[in-house]
Amino acid sequence: MQNARDTFYVTLRDRLAAVNPARTIVLRGVIRPGVLVEENELASATVPVNAFCLHWTGLSVDAQGALPLATMTCEISYATDGDSGNGGMDRGRLLSAMDAELVAAVSAAPQSVTKRNYVGAAGGSGLAPVAMGTNVFWGDAAFGAAVVNTERLERVATVEVFCYQEAGEL
Amino acid sequence: MSTTVTAVGLVGAVAPVTRRVRAYFAPVNRAAGAPTVFDAAHSGTFALSSPPAPWVDLGWCTKFARKSETKIGALTTGAPAVVQSQVVTQVEATLQLEFESWGKLQLALAAGSQQMNLLQTATGAAANGSGGRAAQAVLLTGAAASTATALNVGAAAAAQFEVGQLVSVDEDYVAQVGFVGSGVSAAYVSSPASVANDINYIRRVSLNVGRVVSIANGVLQLGAPLLAGAPPSGMQVSPLMGFVDREGGGFFQEWSGLFVMDGEQGDRVIYHYPRLQAMQGSAEMAEALAGPLEKVKLAGAFRALPVKDANDGETVLCFRSYLPGAMRAV
Repeated sequence: MQNARDTFYVTLRDRLAAVNPARTIVLRGVIRPGVLVEENELASATVPVNAFCLHWTGLSVDAQGALPLATMTCEISYATDGDSGNGGMDRGRLLSAMDAELVAAVSAAPQSVTKRNYVGAAGGSGLAPVAMGTNVFWGDAAFGAAVVNTERLERVATVEVFCYQEAGEL
Repeated sequence: MSTTVTAVGLVGAVAPVTRRVRAYFAPVNRAAGAPTVFDAAHSGTFALSSPPAPWVDLGWCTKFARKSETKIGALTTGAPAVVQSQVVTQVEATLQLEFESWGKLQLALAAGSQQMNLLQTATGAAANGSGGRAAQAVLLTGAAASTATALNVGAAAAAQFEVGQLVSVDEDYVAQVGFVGSGVSAAYVSSPASVANDINYIRRVSLNVGRVVSIANGVLQLGAPLLAGAPPSGMQVSPLMGFVDREGGGFFQEWSGLFVMDGEQGDRVIYHYPRLQAMQGSAEMAEALAGPLEKVKLAGAFRALPVKDANDGETVLCFRSYLPGAMRAV
């Protein structure tokens, strides 16, 4: 399942970067596309703004078939304070832009990708991820209500991500 | 991340997981009784957005449900009766679906009978449910030949058309009897009197329609190729306002249908119905959106008719093909 999570994250990150290359975030001193997986980063009480933060929450496994089918829930939270140059009065527009970017990235065809194993590729090894035998696929994003938190606008979208657990895969 | 690197090998076969169905249409030669045959062995892996000729994309459809009505009976002998063998007593198949888009072809397939064009009426024409007497058509007669996407009507006649207009392109009705309509048989005419010898009747029922997207040098440029391909110069062009079908028409349309389900694991299921006819009148399904808003979808119900499989002469209604994903156990 971890391979599927990694694959979904990398796919979503690349698609979002293609939709809006200007959406970046500085993380531990490195400029990256504005997408991160919360559990892969240092624990922090700070909510990043103008970036998509992925949280893996629900998990269920259907073991009836030849391969166990895992269903994982990915919550994608994002927030914006608006542009300070505009006094934050454009926060609604900026949140709407993030909504549209997420729709474009999640709903673009195909909504599936070959599952890859990133173990060997981790840590800047330079090795390519290993393509696996099954695909990761996902549904459309379900958007929660926009929440006003003082001057900040926040939203959580949910995507159901599916994968088959291959033989020997942890 | 995972600590195990899995070697790529044969993967267990799983049930196809799919989202929706893509539908395609191809004409049946009604006069010859020859359907369009789809060979999944040769063309099964085509890209969904570019089907092999002559198949025409009908777009996505949902609530696809096919049903086998084939009945198998038991042959019994003796007292008490004992089943000795089984026989096929009836071969029948139906399918239902809802089209996600409205267009001439989708309307025609779901109409249940003739699907007519609302030809622009002549000045002073008496009102009629399927459109009054049509305005005079325009002859394809430019210096250069017309193509499937460019109708050469000449500079003077082109002035009668506007960008955005719908047009029907077909031959004049001059006492033809039998199936009429270029590309696809759109109606059956039993006698000239039954259609009042209307010179525009074939253009009224034709599926050979298009939308004008630009006009230049006497040529009407269409947004998509005509179903029947390049029209000969004797054909005429009639502007039309839209489409109409009728409850109660007696004509059974027939076409070849192809329905493709792409699985999320790279597998593909293909249903090929060589001969399909509508088995219900025109119907719609309303799908609630929010508040009072509803999305209205064309609902179709069809019955499959038989063909002979050239491989062994068996009578069949539908070919279901399965193309497994790469490196799957079979």
